[in-house]
Amino acid sequence: MSDSKKTTTTNYPERTVGLLAEYATPEAILEAAYRVRESGYTKWDTHAPFPVHGMDDAMGIKMTVLPWIVLACGIFGGASGLLMQWWMNAYDYPFYVSGKPLFSIPANIPITFEATILLSSFGAFFGMLGLNKLPQLWNPLFRSDLFRRATDNQFFITIDARDPQFNENQTTQLLRDTGAAVVDPVKKVDRPVRIPPTLHYVGLIFTLFAIIPPAVIVAARASTKTEPRVHPIPNMDWQAKIKPQRANPLFVDDRGARLPVPGTIARGELHEDDHFYRGVVGEAWAKSFPEQISIDAKTMDRGQQRFKIYCSACHGLAGDGQGMVHLRAVERQEPTWRPPSVLFDGPVRQQPIGQLFNTITHGVRNMPAYGPQIPTEDRWAILLYVRALQRSHNATIEDVPEDLRAALQ
Amino acid sequence: MSDKQNTVDDPTRRPPLVTGEHDMADVTDIISRVVEMPPPSLAWKIAITITSLLTLNLGALIGYLVWTGVGVWGNRSPTMWGWPIVNFVFWIGIGHAGTLISAVLFLFRQRWRTSINRAAEAMTLFAVVCAGMYPGIHIGRVWVAYWLFPIPNQMSIWPQFRSPLLWDMVAISTYGTVSLMFWYMGLIPDLATLRDRATTKVRYFVYGLLALGWTGSNRHWHRYERAYLLLAALATPLVLSVHSIVSFHFAVAQVVGWHSTIFPPYFVAGAIFGGFAMVLFLLIPAREFFGLKDIVTMRHIENMNKILLVTGSIVGYSYAMEFFISWYSGSLYERFAFINRALGPYSWAYATMIFCNVLSPQVFWNKSARTNLWVSWIVSILVTIGMWFERFVIIVTSLARDYLPSSWGYFKPTWVDVMMFAGTFGLFLTLFLLFCRFLPMVALSEVKGIMPHGEDADGGHPQPRPPQPIEPSTAEA
Amino acid sequence: MHNTKTINIDDDNRFLGDLGPRLTLGGGVIGISGIFLALLLSVARDNGLAHFFHSYLLNFTFFLSIALGALFFVATQHLSAAGWSVTIRRIAEFMAWLLPWMLVLFLPVLFSVLFGSSDLYHWNNAAVMNPDSDHFNELLAKKQSFLNPSFFGVRAVIYFGIWFLLSRYLITKSIEQDATGDPELTNKMQRFSAPTLVLFALTISFAAFDWIMTLDAEWFSTIFGVYYFAGSALGFFATAILIGVALQGSGRLTHSITIEHYHDMGKFLFGFIVFWAYIAFSQYMLMWYANMPEETHWFLVRQENGWEWVSLTLLFGHFFIPFLYLMSRHIKRNKVTLCVGAIYVLIVHWIDLYWLVMPSLPHHEFGLGGLLIDLTCLIGLGGLCVAGFAYVAGERSLIPERDPRLGECLAFKNM
Repeated sequence: MSDSKKTTTTNYPERTVGLLAEYATPEAILEAAYRVRESGYTKWDTHAPFPVHGMDDAMGIKMTVLPWIVLACGIFGGASGLLMQWWMNAYDYPFYVSGKPLFSIPANIPITFEATILLSSFGAFFGMLGLNKLPQLWNPLFRSDLFRRATDNQFFITIDARDPQFNENQTTQLLRDTGAAVVDPVKKVDRPVRIPPTLHYVGLIFTLFAIIPPAVIVAARASTKTEPRVHPIPNMDWQAKIKPQRANPLFVDDRGARLPVPGTIARGELHEDDHFYRGVVGEAWAKSFPEQISIDAKTMDRGQQRFKIYCSACHGLAGDGQGMVHLRAVERQEPTWRPPSVLFDGPVRQQPIGQLFNTITHGVRNMPAYGPQIPTEDRWAILLYVRALQRSHNATIEDVPEDLRAALQ
Repeated sequence: MSDKQNTVDDPTRRPPLVTGEHDMADVTDIISRVVEMPPPSLAWKIAITITSLLTLNLGALIGYLVWTGVGVWGNRSPTMWGWPIVNFVFWIGIGHAGTLISAVLFLFRQRWRTSINRAAEAMTLFAVVCAGMYPGIHIGRVWVAYWLFPIPNQMSIWPQFRSPLLWDMVAISTYGTVSLMFWYMGLIPDLATLRDRATTKVRYFVYGLLALGWTGSNRHWHRYERAYLLLAALATPLVLSVHSIVSFHFAVAQVVGWHSTIFPPYFVAGAIFGGFAMVLFLLIPAREFFGLKDIVTMRHIENMNKILLVTGSIVGYSYAMEFFISWYSGSLYERFAFINRALGPYSWAYATMIFCNVLSPQVFWNKSARTNLWVSWIVSILVTIGMWFERFVIIVTSLARDYLPSSWGYFKPTWVDVMMFAGTFGLFLTLFLLFCRFLPMVALSEVKGIMPHGEDADGGHPQPRPPQPIEPSTAEA
Repeated sequence: MHNTKTINIDDDNRFLGDLGPRLTLGGGVIGISGIFLALLLSVARDNGLAHFFHSYLLNFTFFLSIALGALFFVATQHLSAAGWSVTIRRIAEFMAWLLPWMLVLFLPVLFSVLFGSSDLYHWNNAAVMNPDSDHFNELLAKKQSFLNPSFFGVRAVIYFGIWFLLSRYLITKSIEQDATGDPELTNKMQRFSAPTLVLFALTISFAAFDWIMTLDAEWFSTIFGVYYFAGSALGFFATAILIGVALQGSGRLTHSITIEHYHDMGKFLFGFIVFWAYIAFSQYMLMWYANMPEETHWFLVRQENGWEWVSLTLLFGHFFIPFLYLMSRHIKRNKVTLCVGAIYVLIVHWIDLYWLVMPSLPHHEFGLGGLLIDLTCLIGLGGLCVAGFAYVAGERSLIPERDPRLGECLAFKNM
């Protein structure tokens, strides 16, 4: 194998960059390592197919800084995991799910834990490779056939020629003294490093192709398009149905949205009871409350409450037409404003109850229609309260219950 | 040489872990021969043909699934989780044995792990591949799977990190990545061995590239050993957390029979149990076919069977605890859930599970059963089946009959479920066969490290002595 | 060629000698007076006897957990054919041999239940189980076949009986090996350790259920037995470290226990701290996430009225701090720093049991008075356990003299 690897070195000088000594057992190399270290060498190494116990002490290797790298990576990983979850779920787009707190520590721990382990592991693995300066694919030792046994069953010491104490003869002698079976020089060929020309072209083409994706992205972000985006997987995005605002040529009026057939009545909308729904009995306005309305305190309370909500804004709490809207309009000197009616006097007092009902339902003059807002029962309740207001403004002392008269007099 | 030679329990000495009077060069030869043997044996060729066909079937079915939709599976109301989740948990569980052997047994200084850790770690990676496929394809719209990752998307929304499904995604990816790094790191010195023995240019180039220029330098070994220890110390809580997070899928829910606090350690023990069964299932034939009997010895088989018994007992303990507490809780639903498992429509699955998981490993109380290859292999198959059924019983019975009787149903798998699962076995075994063919199945450098050399009778190592002062140089220049 | 320097322990003092009877007497006196003092202090209070029983139970389960952890250790070391732990195993054996003695210590609790007191266990109350009573609790009544005083008593006898048989076998065989040196005894102990662990797992779980979990009998957790076990393992390792250092401090076992042993015990302590945190987190997170009131009320109690501070103390004090502290190789390899860690772990283990037991005391208040009862009880039971340990050690060697793996134990070195 190494034969085919050896290029013709006749044109280039070879020089010795170190010595290689082979040993057969771990004990032998351990003892030799002590001797080499005691002799004062610093640029040397031992090689073995497995880590030999005690070699760290023999060579004087100090504990590596790797655990600290791993710790730092772990802390960073944990903090990042936690920060990511907080920022993404609680800050940037608060994600409300099943009432759990946005940043809920128990639920955020699993991912934080995994992130810690992941980054610590990267620290251990890449830290180890980095500190060992691996990959280092080329090494003059690989030219030696002898050295191939370093990963098999033999042990080696290499001493670098750059060590200040290195002397080819003396160092060889020392290694033989320690019991090395073989001592070989390690040779290196000083060939100038040249990148083959094809690689230049390959690199150029690759770089050009690598520029294309970012260029496309930049171009796309800097420009606008009139066509819709490409939609590769349609799913159920386009369906054969007519949506409300679309045209539909099947119909004469071309509209997709259709009205119900004339005369269609929704459930619960068949209002046949004229008295209740329109305040009309026969051809005239109703003069009494319909049967569905029970005249009692409950209806009165409801009516009062509803009156305060809907009517008092204009007609005032007492029905005197001095509601806040009116006062405001006067203050602003609204030119088109017509004062709200006084409910307990004048024409309003004379009107039959059915006509009042009609007024609430459809509005009159400036007053809008309250029919859509107020359910039918509530309108009658309001009217009950209005009657009470009318009675209260036109009452005599005899109308007051006996026990309350004293307070008024 | 008797196979059982190193299974004798003699407290006065540690049994040899490499039998047959081999030295380091022999060990290198035995393992490397498998990789360097051209052409591969007929048995290997037949095996890989079958497994490749199964893998192709898997690919085709995945295509069919993505094209047609998740309805091709048996997942129906009320069992919205069916075989895909069962298979996922099954495969992930199997992967855990590899990490246990590599990391946990390393921390406990169990030297016998060195013969099996390489193959087990490889098995972990392939199991993770098979497992990780399922979450990827079961989501329905596979093309928007990127929404699971914290990368900006068109809705400016981020993943829901408080969900067990996201925890799972992070945990599985972390587990796969760390296992890959750990496995690769262990491979580096052995790839260097293969590089140095390479006889063809292609082999020299590929193994050389992958070996990163490893020279066996002790300065490198020092950092390597420290990194190995750190990765082992990290991988241990990792393996516990990954299967705990998988168990959270079920345990954080309010489904009866799922919501049980013992799930995390129970699932982890079950995973190791199922994983060791798979390691035995693979290695017992492998050591025969690849001539590894002196390295993966009967003592290794026996130790693995003991671990099978221990983890099986932990699983049995968990069954007992769940059963007792379900009664003790006084909850009508809890009590019903466990009676339903044993006596309901899936009692056949429950019986299989109990027989395979609780009863079959009990043979290993007996020493001759522990040291019998056929018994070991058959029990490993039964345990693998049993562990699949355990996940099936947990998932399907609790969903098929939960709180509201009007919602009860019966789950049936479809042919796609079954064939896809078979396909994952094809994928797993194809990858494993390729691994056997191209990479060293045993951790060469680690096995050499535990072989006897220079150890005294007590197993102690040469003690360091303080360095002596440097003698003045007397040699001539 | 380097010499393999084997450690020579021939000159080590391997016996308690006259220290033994002194410890027995002193421990006994302190023990009994401590418990009586606790009783006196509690009778003077409002909540009196209930507080006393809770304190007693808390301290009893504390020392029980250590003894059970020791049994676990002995069994696992035999089962795994461990060589590193030989010289500390005898200490663990003596600790495990306290288990039968613990039955005597358990009698106050047992008698209080048998005599119908519901100061500790609210299910021990006929009114609770009676459908016609105002205090009827339907949920507890469903469990009556399990939660009644007779079955409770029978189960307690079974647990202690099993622990007695298990620990007796392992210890007598080990002591026998001191005399005969027969290696086959090691094999016997290894074989016995396997069923030991099975029975250990079941008995410790049910003991934890019976004595601690039923304090709140409406609550349940399948992992509770494992939780108690995690605490017992770390309690054991902390105590073993302290006993080792104490013995070496008194001039015994000078060479028998090396820094490598302490390093390994420190590693186990670290590992079980992490394991405890894992189990505690599993229990909490699952119940928090599903948010079902039938489970969360147990944690809710521990989140109010001052208990939140104890819970936070456990989170930071029982996990984060010892985790970061014991992670360091240097700390584990230095006897002083490791001892500080061990004492600290025992304190937080006690706080863990306090957190488990005391919230079920009605009208519990944090205060010096209550704490005084708890601490006098601690000293009382502790004294009795020290007395028991010294009594058991007696004339016996403090290390397994003729264990076949003794040489390996002394020679091993950590990475």
